[in-house]
Formats: sequence, structure tokens, C-alpha cells
Amino acid sequence: MDAAFIERGIALVGAIAVGVTATVQLKNDWTARGLDADLTKVLLGLMALGCVIALLAAVNLLGVRS
Amino acid sequence: MAAAAARHLSGTEAVAARYRDVDPVYGETRDIRLLGFVFFLLSDCILFSSFIFAYVYLRISAPAWPPFLNGHQLPWFDTSFAAMNSIVLFGSGVTMHFALENWKHLNKAKFNGWLIATILLGIGFLGGQAHEWSVVGISWTATTMGAAFFTLTGMHGFHVFVGVCYLTVLGLQANGGTYTGSKYFGLTAGTLYWHFVDVIWVFLFFLFYIW
Amino acid sequence: MHTTSTTHDTHDAHDHIHPPPEGFVRKYVFSLDHKVIGFQYFFTGLLIMFIAGSFAELVRLQLTDPNGAIMSHTAYNEMFSMHGTAMVWLVLIPLVTGALGNFVMPLQIGARDVAFPWLNMASFWILPVAALILFSSMLFGGPHAGWTEYPPISLADGTANALWALAIFTIGISSTMTGLNFMVTIMKMRAPGMTWTRMPLFIWATFATALMNMVATVALSVAVGALFLEQVFNVPFFDPSRGGAVVLYQHMFWFYSHPAVYIFIIPAFGVVSEVLPTFARKPIFGYKMIAFSSMAISILAFTVWMHHMFPSGIAPWLQLPFMILTYAIGIPTGIKIFSWMATIWGGRIHFTSAMLYALGFLITFTFGGLTGVFLASVPVDLHMHGTTFVVGHFHYVVAGGAVMGFLAAVPYWYPKATGRMLNEGLAQLGFWLFFLGLNGTFLPMHWLGLEGMPRRTATYAGFAKAFPDAVFWNQFETAFSFLMVAAIGLLAFNVIWSLRHGKLAGINPWGARTLEWTISSPPPYYNYKKIPQVYGRPYDFDQPLPYRNTDNELDEFPEFGRVLMPTPQPVGA
Repeated sequence: MDAAFIERGIALVGAIAVGVTATVQLKNDWTARGLDADLTKVLLGLMALGCVIALLAAVNLLGVRS
Repeated sequence: MAAAAARHLSGTEAVAARYRDVDPVYGETRDIRLLGFVFFLLSDCILFSSFIFAYVYLRISAPAWPPFLNGHQLPWFDTSFAAMNSIVLFGSGVTMHFALENWKHLNKAKFNGWLIATILLGIGFLGGQAHEWSVVGISWTATTMGAAFFTLTGMHGFHVFVGVCYLTVLGLQANGGTYTGSKYFGLTAGTLYWHFVDVIWVFLFFLFYIW
Repeated sequence: MHTTSTTHDTHDAHDHIHPPPEGFVRKYVFSLDHKVIGFQYFFTGLLIMFIAGSFAELVRLQLTDPNGAIMSHTAYNEMFSMHGTAMVWLVLIPLVTGALGNFVMPLQIGARDVAFPWLNMASFWILPVAALILFSSMLFGGPHAGWTEYPPISLADGTANALWALAIFTIGISSTMTGLNFMVTIMKMRAPGMTWTRMPLFIWATFATALMNMVATVALSVAVGALFLEQVFNVPFFDPSRGGAVVLYQHMFWFYSHPAVYIFIIPAFGVVSEVLPTFARKPIFGYKMIAFSSMAISILAFTVWMHHMFPSGIAPWLQLPFMILTYAIGIPTGIKIFSWMATIWGGRIHFTSAMLYALGFLITFTFGGLTGVFLASVPVDLHMHGTTFVVGHFHYVVAGGAVMGFLAAVPYWYPKATGRMLNEGLAQLGFWLFFLGLNGTFLPMHWLGLEGMPRRTATYAGFAKAFPDAVFWNQFETAFSFLMVAAIGLLAFNVIWSLRHGKLAGINPWGARTLEWTISSPPPYYNYKKIPQVYGRPYDFDQPLPYRNTDNELDEFPEFGRVLMPTPQPVGA
């Protein structure tokens, strides 16, 4: 139960929460029109992707150093 | 006949009127300043891309990574802490999205709540970065790993700091009556900037902590 | 495409006429008016051109003697480095984008100003600041490694290198903001009915240039920013002993600097596309080809940068693709040249000074473009790199292309800007001086370079022993270079003298057909009282003017040389 484990745990829980929320918001806003809406969709999608990466890092599937 | 000086508009309305135009693609009123702001974000993207190119070039052409310094190989960065800090920043992106949504639905109290959450999370991220800088154990000038790391995360951190200031100003302006339910370009711009800074971090997190 | 209703009472970007600025400072110093800002860029650019040109003259004087006539190696290095740096960033780009683009573009699209006038003003005022920073570097010895300032050698310049980098970074902000401003203006503020394929070709050129300006300049800022960090804070981007790579700087620098040369030349292409049809009284040949080739060049420009680096030690497999891409980018340019020639073929040519410069452009730019095609070939470049052949090539395209195009624009749009004609006799004399001076100075550099004369070296005694006529040719070049100085001096005199003594110009002295020739000369601060509607291209000389709702009543078929005075307008907004 060292610091890294706690950090990973927070990252895991947070990644799921934030990632799911971002994806849900993306789905809700999918039909919005306009340049700002399009850009928001792209950026929200990339943020969700970031959450996926952070999640995989938290469970040691990515970013494992030899 | 140009209706130029006929009606007198005040404050934000006058500014918005000057910049409003009819978008040929979407057929609705669009703000010229939005296009200008998106182009600004594009140029900011090139800024990060160029430094990222330098980092990738240096890393690929290095004989070993992490590089050796005085006979010892430098340690990798701490992925677990960064993962946690990243979630803080991504979370702030989602809270900012909620803030803007609530403004559009004319719910000022909730807007304020989510905006404050965003700012606090942003400050939290900066705090996390400061901690990371203090414990990372490499210097800016000894190796290309430090050069790339501190330059890129420093530039990103500067952008986050500017963003926090910007959001604070927006919050003060919004509560001071500068924006209305239909004219709130500053808030849109601030949200887009914040998301942009967020997404840059996705790339930096991957490049320094995963790859 | 905008709707064509003019009787709407919603306010939009087209309708707004702000009250006139008051006071000397608001009108002429911190002006938001794109026309005033254009003038500011023009005079500042011209002033710096004189300074940078004097540095070049000192370089030329030095080379009259193979053992070096007037200065040390160090001083010589500083002279050519400052000449190049100042000319590229403080003269060429400000003049073609800041002066020309600012003044002409909003007028040609029927707009009252650019999209972000305050940003425009800020972009201008960055120029004198950047100039001060650059020239202050000379107090610390100045840059010595050329306008490219490659590390590691540039790092020996110390504070001067840091100031050089800071100056370039600063002016880069101005270019980026201007590019952004112009792009949004052209995309969003064209007159109703002016679709993309009804835009004047100068606007296509400005758009392509603005795109490159906005995207490429930031890459330069990063390159010089990294150099600055290494110089001042010892951050190891380019130091091999700590893992850095010298060639990395070259990649980052040339990724911008190749598009930069297209930033110089495409506005000149736009000017030529306007001047040739007007003075040949013929529609432009191949409108769409010219328009799309400008866009093609602006995209391809980002794909050829390594042709500046063939001998630098890049991986050999990279040389072939960049060679092919460099050949490829000559194609859209060639299309333009053929289109221009077809434009004037069979036309009724009026040899005004603007036309002379445009025709001279066709000759000197084509020649420079051809030597560029030679240099695109890797085997040739490996021998020619670092010789005066390259110097001759790029001066033909820059001085014989960009500057020549800019010099065509001056007599062409001066009447619109000031309401007076430039003195035609002086302008024509200036053309011949410039044309002869240019060719005399830069043509011999080609054969000297083929024989192996190196560039950027203060003495050439060894080379002169092997090729004794090198001394004569260098002296020849120096002599002819003064003709160019005289030409620019004459232009400056002409511009100032004609402000008071030039013939009154009227609305449309050239019988041209683009929108700016439908309003008075000089235009009122708000340009267009009524935003005109456009329903055709401006180049069809046998068709009536394709505009409705213009401020002045116009001739259907404007004739060359007839002075039209503006229709009296009712007083009051």
C-alpha cells in the first residue's frame, strides 16, 4: 500500500468517472452544430482517450518500465 | 442602404454585432471571433508540435533512452503520480464543460459552482506539476531528456497558468454582467482554450510517461 | 455565399461604420485603419531596407579586392548576417504582407477593415520593437553565422545570438497574428456575392500567404526559441556532447524558412496577376489554375524543406524524395508563368511603370526559378551549396521576384492610396536602373559559383589565383549594385515628392476592374459607404463591371487613362 498504489487507485477510479462522463457528454452533444460545437466534440473525445490511456497506465497495462 | 449608424448598441452587444455574420455552411449566426480564436489555437498547436518534434527526434536518435549521465542511466518518470495528476486535469475539462452548459441554460449558480471546481482542479494540477518537478531528479541542462521534459511541461504549465487566470477573469466578468444568455463569446473561448490545454496534456502524458 | 439582400436591418460585420478617429495619435500613430497601418509598414520597411541595403553595399565593397578591401572577417560576417536577417524579416515580409496586404486586401474584397483591427495595429507596432532588438545585437558584436545562425557556431556569438533569436521570435508573433487576421478577413468579410471563384487573384495570393504565415511562423519561433534557451540557459537541444543534434536546428529552421520564401513571392504573384490584365486590357488567362496553384504552393511549401540540407549529413534516402518534391513545386509556379504569358499575348499593352516591373518580373523571376530547378537536383546542389550560385539564385527570385512584384504594386496602387499619380518618368527610370542593376549584380554570381567561388567569405584570394577574372566580375557586380541603390532611392523620392506634386488621380486612372477602383482616391476611412454586391469576376474586359450598389456611378467599360472623379456624396453618415 505504498504511494504509487494509492496514486494508481485514484487514477483508476478517476479515469473511469471522468472518462464515462466525457463520453456521455460527447454522446449528448453529438448533433450540435457549429464550429465551436465541432471543436468541443473533438476535444472531449481526445480527453476521453486521455482517460483511457491514464486508466491503462493505472492498471499497469501501459507505461510499464523495464 | 446600409443601416450603419441607425441603432445604438451598448457594450457586448455592439461588439457582438460588429463580429456577427451568417455562416454559409451552418446557416446560423456565427461569431467571426470564434474563427479567429480557433486559428489561434491552431497556431498554438503548431507551437507544441514543433517542440514535440524536437523531443521525438532527439529521443529516436539517442543511443539509449533514458540517456546516460556520468555513467549512470537516468530513471524513467513516475507514471503513477502523473496518471493521477492527469485525471485531475481531465476532470477539470469535464467540469468546465458542465459550467458552460449551465450558463447556456441560464443557471448562473451552477455555472459558478462548476467554474470554481474547474479553477481549483487546474490549480491542483499545477501543484502536482510543481511536485513532479521537484522530485523528478534530473536537470534542465544536463541531458536532452531534461531539456525536452522541462521545456515541454514548462510551456504546458504556463498555458495552464494562463488558463487559470483567464477562467478567473471570465468568472468575474460573468458575475459582473458582461455576458448574457445569448452573447457569451468570452466563455466559449475560455472553454475551448481549457479543453485545448487539456488535450495537449494527453499527448505530453503519453510521450513522457507511457512511451 | 452570402445572401444578397441589402435591405436588412440586422447588423453584421459588413454594416458597421464606426465614428472617425480623432486626434493626431489616433489617426496616424495608433491607428486601427488598415490603410494607415499599411502606410506605417511601408515606410518602416523602406527605412530598414536602406539600412540592410547599406550592409549589403559594404559586403560588395569588401569583395572588390580578393584580399578584402575594407574590413575584417568578423565585420564582414556580421554585415552579411545582418543584411540577410533584416531583409528577410524586417523588410520583405512587412512590405509584402504588412504594407501591400493590409492596404489592398480589405479594399479588394469590399470590406471596411480587417477582421481584428486592434490586432492589426499591435502586429505593426511589434515591427519597430523587433527591429530595435535586432539592431541592438550589433552592440554586442552582432550575429556572424548568416541569417540562418546555425548552432554550434552561432552559440559563439553570445548575447548577440540571444538578441538575434529574441528579435526573430518577436517579429514572428507579428507575422502569425497578421496571417490569422487576413485569413479570417478573407473567409468571413467578403462583399455579398463575392464567391471564392469571383475573388481577385491578389486575394487568393494573400489568402495562401496568410495560411503559410499563420502556420509556419510558429515553427520558426520554436527553432529560434530553442536556440535562445540553449544560448542563455544552456539547455542542450543542439549540443551533441549532451545528446543534442546540430541538424535538428536545421530541420526546425528550414521547416519555416522554406514556406517563408513562398510568403515573399506569392503576394508578388498576386500583384502580377492584377497588373498584367489591366495593362494588356485582356482577361487573365487561367484564373482557376492560378488561384489553385497558389493554394497548391502554400501546401507543398511545407514538404520541401530538406532541399536546403542536402549536404548536411541527413540520411541519404531522404535526398531523393525531397528532390522530387522540390521539382514538383516548380510545376504550379510554371503554370502561373505560362498563364501570365498567355494573358499578355495578343493584348493591347500599355507600358506604364507598373507594367514594366511586372514584365521585368516575368523575366527575372523565371530565370531565378530555373536556377532553383537546377539546385533541386541533389548532385548539382552538393557542388553548388555554399557557392555564390545559390546567392545568385535566391537574389533573382527575391529581388527579381518579390521586390520586383512589390515595385510593380507601388505605382499601381499609389494613386488609390494617395489620390495622386507617381511621377511616371522617374518611375520608369527607376525601373531601368533596378532591372539593369539587378542583372548586373547577380548574373555573374552564377558562373563564379559554378567555378567554385564560396559565399559568406570575406576574402577569395585563393579562388582569384585560380580564376583571375573573378576579381573583375566582383568589381562589376559591386558597380551595378549601386544602380539598385539609386533605383530604390529614386522610388523613395518619387513617393514623397508625388504626395504634393503628383498629377491628380481620380477614381480609376488605369481603367482597372477590381472593387477598390470604384471608390474615391484616397478612400474615406470607412472605405465603402455602401457595401457593393458582386456578381462576376473582375477580369472580363469586354463585360460590364460586375458590381451593383457601388458608391459611385461608374463607367460600364472603364478606359485606360481617363480620369474619373467621384460622384458627390451627400454630407453626413
